[in-house]
Amino acid sequence: MTSSLRAGVVIPTVAALKVAISLSGLPDLLRNDHQLSSPLTSFSQLQEGLYLFKHGIDPYSGGTFRHSPLLLALFSSVLPTSTLFAAVFWALSDAVAAWALVEIWRARQNVSSSTRDGLVALGYLANPYTILPSLALSTSTLENTLLLLAVMFAAQKKAAPSLLSLAFLSHLAPPAILIFPPLALLLLTDPHSHLASPQKLSLNKRRIFPLVLEFLIYAGALTFASTLVAGSWNWIPQTWGTWLTLPDLTPNPGLWWYFFTEMFDHFRPFFLMVFSMHLVIYVAPLCIKFQHDPLFALFILTGVLGIFKAYPTLSDPGLFLSMTAAFPEIFPYLRHPIVTSLLHLHAALLLPLFHHLWLTQGTGNANFFYASTLVFACANGAAVMDSLWAGMRIAIGKNTEDYGIVQE
Amino acid sequence: MIQKFHQRLPVIKIILFLVGYLWMVAIPLPELGRTTYIDENALQPAQVSTYWNWGDVHTADKYLEDLEKLRDRNATSREYVQSTTVPHTLAYTFDRRADYIKNEFQRAGLSAATQKYSFSVGNTDLTGANAYAVSSSPRASGNEAMVIAASWIRRHDEGEEELNLRGISTVLALAKFLKGYSLWAKDIVFVVGDGYLDGMQAWLSAYHGATQSKELPHSSGVIWNALAIDYACHSFSHLGVFHEGVNGRLPNQDLINSFERISRYTGGVPVVLYDHVQDHVSLPWIPKFIRTNPTFQKYATNAKNVLRHVGYQAPGTPSGIHGLFHQYRIDAFTMYAVCAHGPHGFHALGKVIESTLRTMNNLLERLHASFFFYILTDAVHFNKIGSYLPSAILISIALMFHGLDTWVAAGWTVEEDESPSSDEKPDEKPSEAKTPKWTRRQRPVLPVLSIMAATHLLGTVLFLLLSSNYTLASYQTTSYILFTALAVIPLGAALLRTEQQPHNAPLSTVLKALNLCFASTIISILSVLNFSLALTLSITLGVPLVASSASPTTKWPIKGIQYSLYILLAAGWLLFLPEQTKSVLWNWEVLSVWFAPVVCVVYVPLVLQAAIVNLL
Repeated sequence: MTSSLRAGVVIPTVAALKVAISLSGLPDLLRNDHQLSSPLTSFSQLQEGLYLFKHGIDPYSGGTFRHSPLLLALFSSVLPTSTLFAAVFWALSDAVAAWALVEIWRARQNVSSSTRDGLVALGYLANPYTILPSLALSTSTLENTLLLLAVMFAAQKKAAPSLLSLAFLSHLAPPAILIFPPLALLLLTDPHSHLASPQKLSLNKRRIFPLVLEFLIYAGALTFASTLVAGSWNWIPQTWGTWLTLPDLTPNPGLWWYFFTEMFDHFRPFFLMVFSMHLVIYVAPLCIKFQHDPLFALFILTGVLGIFKAYPTLSDPGLFLSMTAAFPEIFPYLRHPIVTSLLHLHAALLLPLFHHLWLTQGTGNANFFYASTLVFACANGAAVMDSLWAGMRIAIGKNTEDYGIVQE
Repeated sequence: MIQKFHQRLPVIKIILFLVGYLWMVAIPLPELGRTTYIDENALQPAQVSTYWNWGDVHTADKYLEDLEKLRDRNATSREYVQSTTVPHTLAYTFDRRADYIKNEFQRAGLSAATQKYSFSVGNTDLTGANAYAVSSSPRASGNEAMVIAASWIRRHDEGEEELNLRGISTVLALAKFLKGYSLWAKDIVFVVGDGYLDGMQAWLSAYHGATQSKELPHSSGVIWNALAIDYACHSFSHLGVFHEGVNGRLPNQDLINSFERISRYTGGVPVVLYDHVQDHVSLPWIPKFIRTNPTFQKYATNAKNVLRHVGYQAPGTPSGIHGLFHQYRIDAFTMYAVCAHGPHGFHALGKVIESTLRTMNNLLERLHASFFFYILTDAVHFNKIGSYLPSAILISIALMFHGLDTWVAAGWTVEEDESPSSDEKPDEKPSEAKTPKWTRRQRPVLPVLSIMAATHLLGTVLFLLLSSNYTLASYQTTSYILFTALAVIPLGAALLRTEQQPHNAPLSTVLKALNLCFASTIISILSVLNFSLALTLSITLGVPLVASSASPTTKWPIKGIQYSLYILLAAGWLLFLPEQTKSVLWNWEVLSVWFAPVVCVVYVPLVLQAAIVNLL
């Protein structure tokens, strides 16, 4: 039934449907929703910055505009900003992302096309966590697309486009730089599934340096271009600096905002450092544990970033959930898929509900929404933990008569 | 431990259900509640001396006389509705009443205006004219405002419409009176709405810049609190509190508690919940020795209040015009003068309102300290969230356990065949010679999710059809067609019936598991938003969903009966509750109460899924 869906049919259909929904006026309701776009990805703020930019005012001199100068340049010169165009552009971005995910899946399976392509594409396009931010024209959708493109090119062994995509991505959202190590490993090895047969990585470590150099050149060029656009270096503290110093505490579905709202000011620098460094500690262990399968390490790392990064939107955990479609080999080994799904169901209903109770109806308070983000984090955590467990569990093989596997 | 837990699961489920339902019955018990108290120190209720005196009562009487004359000349703007053919130049004669009120506001020295509005629901147009005035604050910049509102028609649930003439007179007299004092730190807005709910809804949405076409000429600040005055008869004995808002939102309890204190101490008027003056409930079918027991009497009167509360909150119907304010985060309630032969009138009411306004005037921030989630069992007792929420949550947990249990059961099957299959997994215990062998089987999740999605889609279509103008115009015939469609379409799921395969769980079991899990999620999440609705759902969904039988061996006639029962539960309201359905749809069209979409898109599909479980 569903297995005969072809990616070539599914992607354009869903993209067209999305444009149709976008034109129905729904995006205006969603555009300023805290769960769908953060201050760093909101379309309204991008438009405000563009307005200032076009009128010769430095958008970075105020405290509101936190988008990259490259987006300013892109939208003020090449791309129009009409709602219709934005709807089409975001739908296209989703289509490209879905196509990239299908390509990743094909590269992993080492086939040129399969019957599950359509399902994998739907895994991205029909995921409410990715649809809604895209309808709200959040630039996090574009970030997801860049990430999937980077991974796709890496899986196809095309180092230059892959590193360029990653450079763009980490220019827009610096935490993404953390996926460089697994991505580089992926470029040097292969994208196929080796979860069932883990082995030590035999690799000439010197081959990594050209990749690092290439990435740095791209990133440097983008930084330089940004400075040309913005006319000064002021944009760096306003964009990249935001990720580290968290000046804007607008609520979002992540874990940072409430913590730093409650924080006494003299602890702030310390905990900002702890929270930022905390993201880094996952990289090395994951890359070492899954050295036989860097694509899987990258997948888990995406999930970790989706939970713990500053200023996430729903699309960040959504990307991780959609990517599971490319790793069907772990499905039989998941321990508690029903619990994870139910947690996600609860979180997906609680988030908008408590948000409404707090900010619209006025009967709840910030603790309500914070509680729902905790449920959401638990749901995402359960998904990541279970995927991680399944990824390691595959190597042991199926249960036999008299033995069970216990996690100590 | 988990294994022990799993073995005792049937007992645990039954206990959860029992405790949950018993808890629901116990909500009105005085032991679960406590007395109300004022939480916000700034309120200082009943601490001021009031200035409202008999001269102002005389003013109110004068206004009342004028209004009665207007009524007798039948100069309501309602005429405007019936004779839409009248040339537009003559239209002004039809909102004489609104003009009269506007003029009186202006004579009192306030900036006032009228507002014409129209709603179209089905084929009927609802038009009218509101009048309102803004008294700007002498002490502050007017960023905040309080509202005193009255509607032309007094609050009513079903039944006869009475005019709220005395309420309107009070508002007019207060406008004149309050203007004379320089105490106010907030703007005071006086609104007289036409009709009952429609006028106030039109004014509020225009004030907040939505839907109604024209902007209001005079504006004020953010409205924090509002009082709705409802006074229709000659005199009253008690003041009643109506507090349920649109979609079941409740005002901050401090507001009601302050009013209760003020009414008692300043006005000398006892306060009751709703119009329940009698504290004696006559239940002739209960044996006399129980009926006359004071504890039982207390329980029965509390239960009456709680039931009335659930009756308003569950469908999200506002219990008066105050409820409309809740859409815009404004805490409001209705002061309802309970008709009696004395002793109170304009004098007491004016004093109480003046003092309540002074209390609201004291606020430096929005009401936030006291409770937003509570059940009033009478005017001075209430249940905290912790003492009523568990009832619905326990039912929801029981549903979740049953769902997960069914899910686990769907994943395993007893294998009699000794030949080991490839994906075999033994039970935790080492297999003895005679013990049945448990093997895993596939659970068809995708087809089941498609069935569920299809029923919700069907519910959405049902909702769109119901809320279309055509259905509202000819409900009688359409409802039969819709019911038949709802009864027939799920039969299509029977086509999915396949022969039972040993390595696949039956569709019905998996459907039942997911159905229960989803229903549980809905109940537990709704319980925070609208407890009464969650309560109602846990009664209508709880046992019926658990009772749906997923056994494929049942005989067809029995299946047919079970199926029709579920269809009746799902959609019987289409046939048997036409009036209620229409009023719920009206609420959705005019007031955006989301009870109608919730029933169609959530409740009906959930029961339909249970019906399909029986069918498969």
